[in-house]
Amino acid sequence: MFRRVLIANRGEIAQRIIRACRELGIETVAVYSTADADAVYLRQADETICIGPGPSAKSYLSIPAIIAAAEIADADAIHPGYGFLSENEHFAEVCRSCKIAFIGPEPETIAKLGDKVAARELAKSAGVPIVPGSDGPVEDEQKASQIAQQLGYPIMIKAAAGGGGRGMRVARNEPSLVTGYHAAKSEALAAFGDGTVYLEKFVENPRHIEVQILADKHGHIVHLGERDCSIQRRHQKLIEESPSPSLTPELRARICESAVKVARQANYSNAGTVEFLLARDGNYYFIEVNARIQVEHPVTELVTGIDLIQQQLLIASGEKLAFEQKDIQFRGHAIECRINAEDPDKDFMPSPGKIDLFVPPGGPGVRLDSHCYSGYRIPPNYDSMIGKLLVHRPRRDQAIRTMLRALDEFVIEGPKTTIPLQRNILSHSDFRAGDHDTGFVERYYGHHPGIPVASGETR
Amino acid sequence: MDLKLIQRLIAMMKRAGVAELDVEDPATGLKVRVVREGAPGPSSAPVVHLLQGGGGAPPMHPGYAAAPGAPLAAPVNEPAQQGTPFQSPMVGTFYRANGPDAEPFASVGTRVGPDTTLCIIEAMKVMNEIKAETSGEVVAVLVENGEPVEFGQPLFLIKS
Repeated sequence: MFRRVLIANRGEIAQRIIRACRELGIETVAVYSTADADAVYLRQADETICIGPGPSAKSYLSIPAIIAAAEIADADAIHPGYGFLSENEHFAEVCRSCKIAFIGPEPETIAKLGDKVAARELAKSAGVPIVPGSDGPVEDEQKASQIAQQLGYPIMIKAAAGGGGRGMRVARNEPSLVTGYHAAKSEALAAFGDGTVYLEKFVENPRHIEVQILADKHGHIVHLGERDCSIQRRHQKLIEESPSPSLTPELRARICESAVKVARQANYSNAGTVEFLLARDGNYYFIEVNARIQVEHPVTELVTGIDLIQQQLLIASGEKLAFEQKDIQFRGHAIECRINAEDPDKDFMPSPGKIDLFVPPGGPGVRLDSHCYSGYRIPPNYDSMIGKLLVHRPRRDQAIRTMLRALDEFVIEGPKTTIPLQRNILSHSDFRAGDHDTGFVERYYGHHPGIPVASGETR
Repeated sequence: MDLKLIQRLIAMMKRAGVAELDVEDPATGLKVRVVREGAPGPSSAPVVHLLQGGGGAPPMHPGYAAAPGAPLAAPVNEPAQQGTPFQSPMVGTFYRANGPDAEPFASVGTRVGPDTTLCIIEAMKVMNEIKAETSGEVVAVLVENGEPVEFGQPLFLIKS
């Protein structure tokens, strides 16, 4: 096992990793930027090192600064957390060449899974369904309409180099396909310097289902069930839960088995998440693998009782998984709300600044992962997450009630937060019925995100 | 001397099994004694005593101390050492010279200009020459050769 782990991250996930290390008796080295110098979680680390100024490019994203810190602190492993350098294959490679263990998959695996086309091919070769598409670039509009005919409308036109919604168009018929094809192409060329586009069948109003995987370095792979992350706004998740209210036991078994197949095909090790789109008709399609720990990992921890960060540390140090698939028990229902310092009334504009009063909720079934406190100043340099509020109860309806109670208890004075929106969503009849999809937030809260639309309101 | 340094000393003491350590900061004249009570037990809480120059601050437990980087106490001003701190622009290992036998780039009394190399900081096997970026006279060298330094740590005092 590692003796001393450097945490190349900040905020709640840095604190989460410190907690896991301390419970395993591992020393921790926390690195921080000058914008985080006041953070209280730094005091829980055995050593702290300032690695640069506020902007991430010069601190949390600076490979030389982090490696130098690991060397002077004599760390034998680096945990990258999520975001920042967590899926940077070059960083994982540098760690390897410096003989520092990178707590995550091998750089080759990160590279393969980070390439969207390669990941799709990998899933296909593992016999896992993928969204039907053009299987490569589409050179001209004749070819595009020919392929669209075969796949059936609606069609999604996507930039090969794309991301963040740029170079993406939905076409519902041939005329809109032709205009969309050219629009996506020129947008992709402008944004990424590469106008290559491909076509995919557009899965309408899908649910976002992801499966947690643990794989050791000895070929043992298990899944820890799914998380339903359908409540999102512009691909930003707001509420996650497990189990998904939309899966039958039979469908759950198939999706989870597909995730294990993808992980096996990728020769995966450590914790990872395989993401799927679930269509209304029960068909599901592989989207991508997140080769890191995810923000919403505690949802799975609550229903399985397995500490995922500790498992990451054990796996990276070469240990075998101490359990098999049949040993993993799923208990109760867990929900997570990501509490962000954002103003839902102002199109989710970040609302950084000082938290005047911070009173966390508690009581039965409540877990809060947060690095914040009264008087804490949310730096403007990073993401706006204040914390993750989780509940764990025997049944979904009970979990929803506990979450509403905990959101009510949660006092955050100063910045605007997403709490009012989450309260509304949890009270919505569609959500309560488990009948929601990735279009839910835009559909009901799209125009005035803070003000609920009357339809379907139960409270 | 700041809390970060004390935290690091305590961590070093813990690893080396050292029970008591006196440290003097040449920059501020601050003297500190760090005692791990009941050492070498792993749970012993280190206590930091200010020996001199701190204006009677009470012993403190580092776990409940102010944020890292906050000054422990107002430094004692010595007129001969007044100058502006030159802070490390990066994290790494501090070297005063080009090699073990070479002359230090800058010592107390050295006149520097904006392009004068003050020191080298090694990060990822790359030797980075650090320029003074100001003109003046070095009045104090705050870090020992070969010591690790972090971003923003004062390395020299320079009087313009």
